[in-house]
Order: sequence, then structure tokens, then C-alpha cells
Amino acid sequence: MIIIFAVFIVLGVVIGFIAGPTYFTMIMILAVIISLVYLVTGYYNSDKIALASVNAKPASQTQYRQYHNIVEGLCLASGLPKPRLFVMKSSNINAFASGRDPQHAVLCFTTGALERLDKHELEGVIGHELSHIANYDIRFMTLTAVLVGMIAIVSEIFLRSLFWSSFSGGRSKDGKAQIIFMIIGIVLAILAPIVVAMIQFSISRKREFTADASAVKFIRSPTGLKNALQKIENESSQTNEKQRATKAIAPLFISDPFKRKINNLFSTHPPLEKRIKILERM
Amino acid sequence: MALGLTIAIIAIIAVIAFIFIYYFNRFVVLGNRIKNSLAQIDVQLRKRADLVPSLVKVVKAYAKHESKIMEQVTKARSEMLKSTNVQSKVKAGDKLQDALKSIFAIAENYPQLKANENYLHLQQELSAIEDKVAYARQYYNDSVLDLENASQKFPGVLFFKLYGRESKEYLKIPEASRAMPKIDL
Repeated sequence: MIIIFAVFIVLGVVIGFIAGPTYFTMIMILAVIISLVYLVTGYYNSDKIALASVNAKPASQTQYRQYHNIVEGLCLASGLPKPRLFVMKSSNINAFASGRDPQHAVLCFTTGALERLDKHELEGVIGHELSHIANYDIRFMTLTAVLVGMIAIVSEIFLRSLFWSSFSGGRSKDGKAQIIFMIIGIVLAILAPIVVAMIQFSISRKREFTADASAVKFIRSPTGLKNALQKIENESSQTNEKQRATKAIAPLFISDPFKRKINNLFSTHPPLEKRIKILERM
Repeated sequence: MALGLTIAIIAIIAVIAFIFIYYFNRFVVLGNRIKNSLAQIDVQLRKRADLVPSLVKVVKAYAKHESKIMEQVTKARSEMLKSTNVQSKVKAGDKLQDALKSIFAIAENYPQLKANENYLHLQQELSAIEDKVAYARQYYNDSVLDLENASQKFPGVLFFKLYGRESKEYLKIPEASRAMPKIDL
């Protein structure tokens, strides 16, 4: 989190250097205002944005009785307030939690998950999602997602304004230093969004392991979650139905909704086999 | 010089006061969490008791001559509602759960009862409540463990005694369910 802020500040300082006092400060102030508004609205509406982007509907008490019952049980086990429950239409097995704190948390499961997972598997996955809520991962993921977006916007503004300013010219008192800073600025502006995204994803992967472990602590048995992950893994090699999920909320899901096979610095989730192996050892 | 000394003394007093307040609040929070988790167990037990009469009614309609088990269930329920402290309430709740289990076992012999929608709904709810009771007890024991850890570690142990707080007892699992289930091969 601090690193992401630092990148943001360094980027701002370098842009400030190149910009010179007059014309660009206005853009910077504007950018800061825009990004602050973006940050605040993103933070307070993260759950609504995430739910709307997958077209989730509230889960009815009668139709999804088991879903409600298991969540209530595991909330008792973890001492959390009951989150609001939602369902999204998809035959794939997946789920995510969002919100800014346990009091404002939402939980969303695909219809596929509710139909195809048995009670113990469902318990495991719900335990995993509730751990994300209990560990404040939902707040963290929301904040980083918003910050990463913010840095991307600022970089964009900078690169575009650079393009325009290069025509205005005639401002250079000491040309050499100006150019060096200019190059540093361009490189930073291009790299910053990539670097912070990488940081975000690496933390996201670590938190998946932690959530798996906390789920086992709540349920006192790893088998349910293990079997559920196994089912997800088998499924991902069979179907190639596209899910209604935007890239921005991909880190929230229990398994990568895009089923990307390659594991690298840009993976939002650790490989399923590795998670299953660790659960087997518990 | 004198100024520096007074500032140092004030700082030390402030730190000590902070430590006292910190431990006081910590034990209050942990104690309240235990109280709350007990209340949660109570809520679930009450819900179970509320569902029992309708279950008895449904089962009676299909299995008339199983009156003995019905009596057991009704007795266990009233025993549970009568008990005042939580420990005995939990004990009575376990008894009720056992009696309910025999009802569900008996229902296997009555296909019409098993197909009854009301019965199915009640069975589902009661087994969900059984899970919830188990989870609530688990959370209670976790909370007791947290308090115990905080109150036995140093320097927490000093403040625990100083504030005159009491440690709580764990909820034990009933004797019957602790016995290893026999497996016939």
C-alpha cells in the first residue's frame, strides 16, 4: 500500500519538475482533484460497482436457503456480521466478496457454484470469502484497485499533455536537464501503472493463501475447500464459456474468472494445484 | 533542565496510564465477546425449541404410534426452556438434539412423511441450526481461549488480577458424542 502511494508521489514530483510552474500546475491540481473524487467514490461504492458489473441479484431467503444458512453458521464461527448475499448468473463455479469493511460487506456466488457444489464444498468456499472479509482483504483490494486506476489516469494525463507541450516549446532555459527529466518522466509514466499492478497482484496472490488457511480455521477441516478447488480446476479445463466479469474485479474472485493458464507476475491468483496441495497438508 | 525533566516525567506517566487503559479495555472487549457468543448460542437454541412443536405435529400426523419418542422430544424441549443458566441450557439442548435425531431416524420408515414438504423444510432448518449451534460454541471457545491467552501472558496477567476479572470456562462437548463411533466392517 505504502509502495503504491510512494510511486504515486514520485510520479507527481517528476511530472511537477518537467512541468514548470505555470501551465502544468493547473493540470496537476485538476488531476489531483479528479483522482480524489475517483478515490472517494470508488471506495464508498466499490460493492455496488462490483455487483453491477457482473449483473448480480440479491439472493432470496427462500430460494437460496442453504446459501443463507451456511453463511449464517460461518458468521457465528468467525464473529462477523452477516454480509448481504447476492447471486450472479453463470454456470461456472466462482464467488467473490466486496465492500469496504465487514459492516458493509457483500458476498456474491455464481448460480453454478450454488447448484454444483455440495454442502461441505460450499462451506469451504464461503469460509474462504468470509476470511477475505475478516482479514479486510476486501478493503485492501478495493483501495489498491482504485489507486492503480488513479495512477493509470495520472500517467495518461501526463503523457498526453507532454505531447501538446512539445509544440509550445521555447521554455527551455537549461535544455539538457529538461530533456533528462523529460525522459525520466516518460519512462516513469509508462512503468508506474505496470509496477503498481504487479505489486497489487503479488499481494493478491499471497492473500489467497491466507484466506484458504483462515477458512480452514473457521470450519476446522480442509476437505470441503479442497474438493471445491478441485472441482473448479477440473471445470476450467473443460468449459470455455466466458464469464461476465471485468478485469478490474478479477482479483476479488475465488479463482481467476478468465481462466488464464499462465502463471506469472500478472496473475491475480496462485495456481489452483498449489493451493490444493497446501490444503492437503493441513 | 528542569523543563526537560518535567516533560520526561509527564511522558512516562502518560505511557503508564496508556498501558493501564489499554489492558483495561482489552479485557473488557474480550469479556464482552464471550458474553455475546453465549447469547448467540442461546439464540440458536431458542430457534431450535421454536421449531420443535411444528415438527412434532407433522410427524404425529404420519407416525401415530411413535408417541414415546415424541414425549422424549417434548420433555427435552421443556427442560431446555426451563433451564436458566447457559451451561445447563446447552446440556439440555444436546439432549433435545439427540431426541430429534431419533425422530429423523424413525421418519426413514415413513415414506409419506419423508415426502412431506413441511417436514423436509423443518428437517433442513433443524440440521442448519445444529451446524449453527456447533459454530457458535466453537466461537465461544475461541473467545475463551483469546481471553485466557491474554490473561495468562505477561504483563497481562498482572492487570487481569488487578482489575479483578474472572476467566470463563470452556463449553465441553457432550460425553456421548465424544465417544468414538463404532464402525462395523
